[in-house]
Amino acid sequence: MLKRSFILFLFFCSSLDLYSQGVRDILPDSVSLVEELKNHAYIPNLSYRIQVLGEELPESQQVIDSTFLWTRNERGYLSPDFENGAQLESLVSEIPENSVELQFYVFGEKSSIDGVYRFLETLVDTGDFVYAQNQKSTDRDLVLIANRYHYQPIEAYKNLLLSDNQLFGVTLINVFFVLAAVSMIIFMLIFKKRRNQREEQIKDFENEIIGPLTSLLFEKSVDQINEMSKAEADAIFQDGIIQRKLFKIVLIDKIIGLNKKMKGDFKDKLKLLYQKFGLIEITRQNLEHRKWEKIARGLVQVNEMDLKMLLPLVKEHVNSSNFHVRSLAGATLLNIAEKVDLNFLRDQNYPLSDWQQMHYLRIIKYIAPSKSLQISKLFGSTNQSVREFGFKLVRMLGRVDLIQELHEINEKVSLEERVELIKTYDSLGAHMEVDFINSCMKSNHPELKKEAIKCAGNLGNEESEDIIILLITENPEFKIRKILLNSLLKLNPARFEQFVSDFPMEENLKIKAHLFDPVLSHV
Amino acid sequence: MKKILIIEDDLLISSLVQFRLKKDGYETVLVKDGNEGIEAIDAENPDLIITDVMMPFRSGIEIIHHAKKVLPDVPIIVLSSLGEEEEVVLEAFNLGVVDFIPKPFNPNELAIRVKRVLR
Repeated sequence: MLKRSFILFLFFCSSLDLYSQGVRDILPDSVSLVEELKNHAYIPNLSYRIQVLGEELPESQQVIDSTFLWTRNERGYLSPDFENGAQLESLVSEIPENSVELQFYVFGEKSSIDGVYRFLETLVDTGDFVYAQNQKSTDRDLVLIANRYHYQPIEAYKNLLLSDNQLFGVTLINVFFVLAAVSMIIFMLIFKKRRNQREEQIKDFENEIIGPLTSLLFEKSVDQINEMSKAEADAIFQDGIIQRKLFKIVLIDKIIGLNKKMKGDFKDKLKLLYQKFGLIEITRQNLEHRKWEKIARGLVQVNEMDLKMLLPLVKEHVNSSNFHVRSLAGATLLNIAEKVDLNFLRDQNYPLSDWQQMHYLRIIKYIAPSKSLQISKLFGSTNQSVREFGFKLVRMLGRVDLIQELHEINEKVSLEERVELIKTYDSLGAHMEVDFINSCMKSNHPELKKEAIKCAGNLGNEESEDIIILLITENPEFKIRKILLNSLLKLNPARFEQFVSDFPMEENLKIKAHLFDPVLSHV
Repeated sequence: MKKILIIEDDLLISSLVQFRLKKDGYETVLVKDGNEGIEAIDAENPDLIITDVMMPFRSGIEIIHHAKKVLPDVPIIVLSSLGEEEEVVLEAFNLGVVDFIPKPFNPNELAIRVKRVLR
């Protein structure tokens, strides 16, 4: 600590020494003073004159050039006022040393050499005079020099920015990001404001709709609504508000929402009102839209409001590349088309998912009693999943009349489809297909083989029994062995007993115990 | 004049029910969520409550619980979607609701049931 203080003290003393030096210390005599002044082109408020002693002026070029300015006095010639130290140097050097006298003028008044020293002291203190030579370089001098120039940071930065490519690039990227961020914030604010405005408007429209729609549903009969003209329907809502597209969209949502929750003639009234208000045009626009979500919305509107006149537009979407759109289009056609020929389903290019099959089946089961469905068209589809769906429909709807048509394609379809055929024959009790079932039992396709063995238990004949026994002797895995023995038991219990007694293997005995256990027999 | 409290979050449905019941000469109070329903039960002292099950803030079951606590003799009719959980419907009946009307429904049918309950 003491050492540090001592170093600081020394530094202070040295600084004090530099600052305490006056002009007389640096320029101790008139010669050094003049030498110093020669180096200054201009010192504010300090000027010089040269007195040449004698009758004649020296014949030097410098002196002759300025002759007309020299004034004659009793001592000789007096030069004009000049401020440039360099001129002093040149003039004095042209005139013999013993016939020249230098005069100093401070603020235009003749001054002694002491006066010049004092004046310079003042200039040094104010920072207006910096030694050109014989000076010690000090921190104070640097500060004084720096004081002479005004700091211009922006100009300096600008120059630096333009001259440095990397800095310029980074600055450009920063500016871009700032602009992008500001633009995004502005965009978000505008977007949010618009959305809020839209939500508020929707609420207002909902309130506008509730009153008139409620009274209309209770006060007008279906016939009265049917007889209403477009103008009368539009007049239900005030100020022609129904002409606004957003109002129509809100009205559609309200009518469809209400239609789902109402029963009886209210549904008919809502469907009529939908058309009377001209909302069908919005649905048409939705169906013709490029965006799939708009099309899907249009399809829901057609489905809910039974807009049969738009079915041609719906048909255009049954083979859409969008899963949701084509599922909705198919469901809509099944729901509201008066004649459902299932051609649209037969011509599907895309495979039917399990969800789609379940969805269509639910609708078809509902409409099957009232509409003549031509399910057999599905058997001729080039799409395997559609053909499989057709076989499932025969099974689910109990269409025994189609067994003959299925029989004709037994051998033409793939092994996967045969699984569905076997299940269908089993479900419908198609004994006439026993040969096909027996041939499938010999298949190498595990699923087909399993289903055929199960089916043989219900529909098989003696040949089926022989095939079953043959398959058991091939030592199949436990699950298949169990299915085989179960089918044999169903077909011929005596032969089952005989087989188990002939081959009293542990597995066979366990399966027999399982099949005869009243609790486990169906597990 | 009998006062009926209708607790239903679908404004269009509730206004339809209100319109129909007003035609039959009932005074109706309409609230749009469970919280308002609880407040209205305490404040309005209704003769009949018609409530939905699925609602914001408080379910219909909570409303029935509260109503049975503060107004044990007031009949309650539940008006709700057919797809509602069977357990919820059973719970509502166990709590003492007098009727359950599944949506989709016919307001005229509802009016007949209301008349029968309030007779």
